[in-house]
Amino acid sequence: MLVELKVNGEPRSADVPPETTLLKMLREYLNLTGAKLGCDVGDCGTCTVIVDGVSVNSCLMLAARANGHEVTTIEGLANSNELHPLQEKFEEHGALQCGFCGPGMLISAKNLLDKNPDPTVFEVRDALAGNLCRCTGYTKIIEAVIDAGRVMNAEQANS
Amino acid sequence: MATRTKDIQKKAEELITTEKSKAPAQQPLAVPADNPVAYPLELPQGEARLRTPAVGQRARRPDGRLHGLGQTQYIDDITFPHMLHAKILRSEYPHARIVSIDTSEAEKMPGVMATLTGAEIPENSFGPTYQDQPVLAYPIARHCGDGVAAVAATSEQLAADALEKIKVEYEPLPAVFDPLEALEEDSPKVHGGDTNIYTSKTIKKGDVEKALKESDHVFHRQFRTQMVEHVPLEPHASIASWDGNGRVTLWTSLGRITLGREDLSRTLRMPQNKIRLIGTVVGGNFGGKNEITTEPILALLSKKSRRPVKSVFTRGDEFISSTIRHPFVMDYTTGVSNEGKILARKIRLVLDGGAYCSWTGTTIGKGSILAPGPYDIDNVLVEAFAVYTNKTTTGAMRGFGAPQVCFAYESQMDDIAHKLGLDPLEIRLRNGFSENSLSPTSQTLQSVALKESLTQAAERFGWKERRA
Amino acid sequence: MRTLDYIAPESAADAIALLAEHGESARPLAGGTDLIVDLKHSPGNIHILVDVSGLEEFRGIEETDEGLRIGSMATYAEIMENPICLEKTPEVVAASHTVGAVQTRNLGTIGGNLVTCVPSADSAPALMVLDAEVTVAGTNGNRRMPIEEFFVGPRKTILQPHELLVDIWIPKKNLGKPSSFYKFGLRKGQALALVNVAAALELKSGKIVEPRIALGAVAPTPIRILKAETFLSGKKPTKKNIQEAARIAVTESKPIDDFRASASYRCQLIQTLTQRVLTRSLEIATAS
Repeated sequence: MLVELKVNGEPRSADVPPETTLLKMLREYLNLTGAKLGCDVGDCGTCTVIVDGVSVNSCLMLAARANGHEVTTIEGLANSNELHPLQEKFEEHGALQCGFCGPGMLISAKNLLDKNPDPTVFEVRDALAGNLCRCTGYTKIIEAVIDAGRVMNAEQANS
Repeated sequence: MATRTKDIQKKAEELITTEKSKAPAQQPLAVPADNPVAYPLELPQGEARLRTPAVGQRARRPDGRLHGLGQTQYIDDITFPHMLHAKILRSEYPHARIVSIDTSEAEKMPGVMATLTGAEIPENSFGPTYQDQPVLAYPIARHCGDGVAAVAATSEQLAADALEKIKVEYEPLPAVFDPLEALEEDSPKVHGGDTNIYTSKTIKKGDVEKALKESDHVFHRQFRTQMVEHVPLEPHASIASWDGNGRVTLWTSLGRITLGREDLSRTLRMPQNKIRLIGTVVGGNFGGKNEITTEPILALLSKKSRRPVKSVFTRGDEFISSTIRHPFVMDYTTGVSNEGKILARKIRLVLDGGAYCSWTGTTIGKGSILAPGPYDIDNVLVEAFAVYTNKTTTGAMRGFGAPQVCFAYESQMDDIAHKLGLDPLEIRLRNGFSENSLSPTSQTLQSVALKESLTQAAERFGWKERRA
Repeated sequence: MRTLDYIAPESAADAIALLAEHGESARPLAGGTDLIVDLKHSPGNIHILVDVSGLEEFRGIEETDEGLRIGSMATYAEIMENPICLEKTPEVVAASHTVGAVQTRNLGTIGGNLVTCVPSADSAPALMVLDAEVTVAGTNGNRRMPIEEFFVGPRKTILQPHELLVDIWIPKKNLGKPSSFYKFGLRKGQALALVNVAAALELKSGKIVEPRIALGAVAPTPIRILKAETFLSGKKPTKKNIQEAARIAVTESKPIDDFRASASYRCQLIQTLTQRVLTRSLEIATAS
C-alpha cells in the first residue's frame, strides 16, 4: 500500500506491505537509519520518533497509520548550519557512549523540551523512562537535557 | 490558551508530587526524584587534583557528534545490493542428539537462497580457551540456544518462515540444569566423559583448618547469584560477503576482531589472509561481543548463495544464544576473633558454566583471586570449579567473576558485624588492606587507599548520622 | 511480521460490519502497543487489522449531565492532559501515568488497556472504584454494563468478535469522589504491576460511606473486594477498621506465584497497599 508522509518537513512516500512498521519504512524504504531497532517490543525506545508532535515507538506503529502525518526523526534535528542545542549538549556532557540509544534519547528529550522547556530532574527522568541506555548511566544524559533546556530558554529570551 | 497549558502542567506536577508523597519507600537513594543536586556537579579542588589538571577536564568523544546526529553506521544500518537475510533455527531440547535435519522443504520456498547445517562447517568448533563450542550444533545440541540450521533468504520474514519448514529429528538426552547436581557422579554429562567439571582453580595461603579451629567465631553461609545478560542495545549483527576471488569480508559488531579472525580461519579452514574483518562501531559490548557467533555461518551462506548475507539477532536470540554472566554458588566459611579480626576464610565456588567454556578461564581466575575480598587474611583456601550445564553459555561480562564474589564476601562482612555488634564500617576498617598488604596470592599491594576511601566516603554521605 | 491486511474504516458501523464479516481472522487495532507485539511473536490466525483508533465515535473526553465520558480510543496522554480528568478523576490520571513510558502513553489507549484484559491492567482498578460503566457496540446495537462485568478472565472480555468497546462512563456523583490509586512494580518505569490497587470513599458524619476497593494482578481479572466494602460501610475511619478491610482484601484475592513475585509476597503487598490507598482516600475526604 502507498504510504505518504511528511518526514522532517519533506514529503516522502513508499509502497510498503500493510504489516510494515513505521520503523521499517523509515529505515528500509526511506533510508533513514537514525532510528534503531533495539528490542522490537516497545521497551527500549531506540526507535522513538515524533508523529504529529508526540513521541512514539515506531516499532509498534504501522506505517499505514502514519499515512498523511508528519514525522520527525533524528535526521531532522539539526539543520545544515548548526546542531540542535540537545545534540550540542549531549556531545559536551559525554552523554553518548556507544551511541545506540542516542537517536531515541534525543528525540524523547526534544519531545519533552518542546512542551516544557524548563523541566525538573523528575520530569526529565519521567520523559526518558522509555529510553534505555546500557553504557553511560543516565546522569550525564539528564544533565545534558537540563542544560540544553537552559540554552533554548536563553535563545528564546534573546529572540 | 497558553495559561491553560501552564495550568495543566502545574496540576500535573502537583499530581506527580502527590503520587511521590505516597511512596516514600520507592524513592531511589542515590538520586532522589526531587534531586536537589545542582548540575553540573562542582568537583572538589584537592591538592591531588591540582597536580593532575587533566583529571576532571571535560573531554569530547571523537564519535559523539555522529552519534548525536544519528549518522553513526552500525551493522544494521549498512546494506548491500542483493543482500540476503539469515535466520537461525535453534534446538528444541536442552540436550539432544540430532538424528537428521531435512532442509529440502525450506529450500523449495521462492526467495530462500541457501541453507546450512553443522555438518557442512569445515571445522565445527571454536572458543577462546577450549574449542568446545560448535558454530551450529551437530550431532549433539547442548542447550536451547544452540543453532542447528540456518537459512538465507531475500527477506528477514521469509527466512523466519523458512525455519518452520526445516524438519529436525531429535533424540532427547537427559539434561542437567543445576550446577551442584552437575557435580554429582550420576549426573548427565554435558560433554560426555566422567565429569562436568571443565576447569578448576585452587588458592592456598597459610593453614585454614588450623586457623578456623582457633577462631572465636565461625560463620558459614551459602550465596548464589543469577544469570545476567548484557543486553547491549544493539543486538549481535554481521554481514558476510564472499567474493569471486574466494576471499570473504565480514562487517561485524564483534569487539575483538583479531581473535574473531583466528576463529573464522579455524572454522572455515581458510588462511587468515583471505579473511577480512571490519569492526564497525559497536552498540554496546560489555563483554558479550568478545567472540564470534554467526560470522562463519554467514560466510558459508554467502559462499553458497554468492550474495552478501546479513544477520541481526532478535532480542530473543540475544537472551538464549549469546553469552551471559556466570551464576555462582559460593560457600563461605570465615573464622573471626572476638576483636573482629578475620583469621581464616575458606571458600568453595561453583561456576555454572552453561553449555560451553567460552571465557570461563578468565572468570574463574579473577573470581578466585578476588573471592576472599580486600581484607588482610593470613589463612585462605579457595577451591573453584566450573561445571557444564545444559543452559545458555556463560562468558565474559564486566568484572569477570568479581561482582559475584563481592556480593558474597560483603554480605558475610555484614553478618559478622551484626553478630559481633560492630558497625559494618568498623569491621571493614579493622580488616581492610593497607599499604604493603599481601593479596590472597601473596602479591605485595601498593598505593592502597582502601581505608582512607571508606572513611572519606562514610563522612561525605553521612554514614554515622544515618545510623544514629 | 507476517503478511496482514490493514483497513481503516470510516465509521464505527463500518468497523463492526468488517469485524462481523471476517470473524476470528480480524482484530480491531487501537494503540497497538500490545497487539503489534503479539503479532510479531505469535500471530495466530489474525490476518486483518481494522484500525479503529481514529474513529470519531470512540474518541473524545467530555462531561455531560450523566457524568464523564472517556472515549475508548482516548490515549493515556490525552487523559493525563485533560483538565476535566485532572480535576475530577485524578486517580484515573495517576493510573494512566503508570501504564508505561511516554511513548506508550502517547500511542496506547484506555480502551485497549481494558480490552487486552490482562489481570494487571492499570486503568481497571482506578475506574472500578468510581463505579465506571462501559458501552459496547456490535451488530445488535449498543449495550451498557458495569465495568466488572466486562472482564471474564485473563485476556478475555465479554466482547464478541464483532463487538467494540465504545466508551467508558463515570457517573456524575462519583466525579471528584475522594480516591487513591497505587501501583507496585519491580521498577518505577515500564514495569507490570505486581499489585495495583485503588480505593474511593466518602465521609459522612464521621462514618465511611460508599467505600470501594479494587485490586489488579491478584486474580484472573481485576476485582472489587465487595466483602471489605460491606465491612467498611458505615464504620468509623479507624486504623483498626482499615487494617481489617485490607485483611479481607488479602483473603478475597487469589494471587499467583510467577517469575515476578511469589503469591505470599503479593499478599503482603495487598495488605500494605490496600491500607495505604484507604488511608490516602480518607485524608482526601477529610481535607475536602
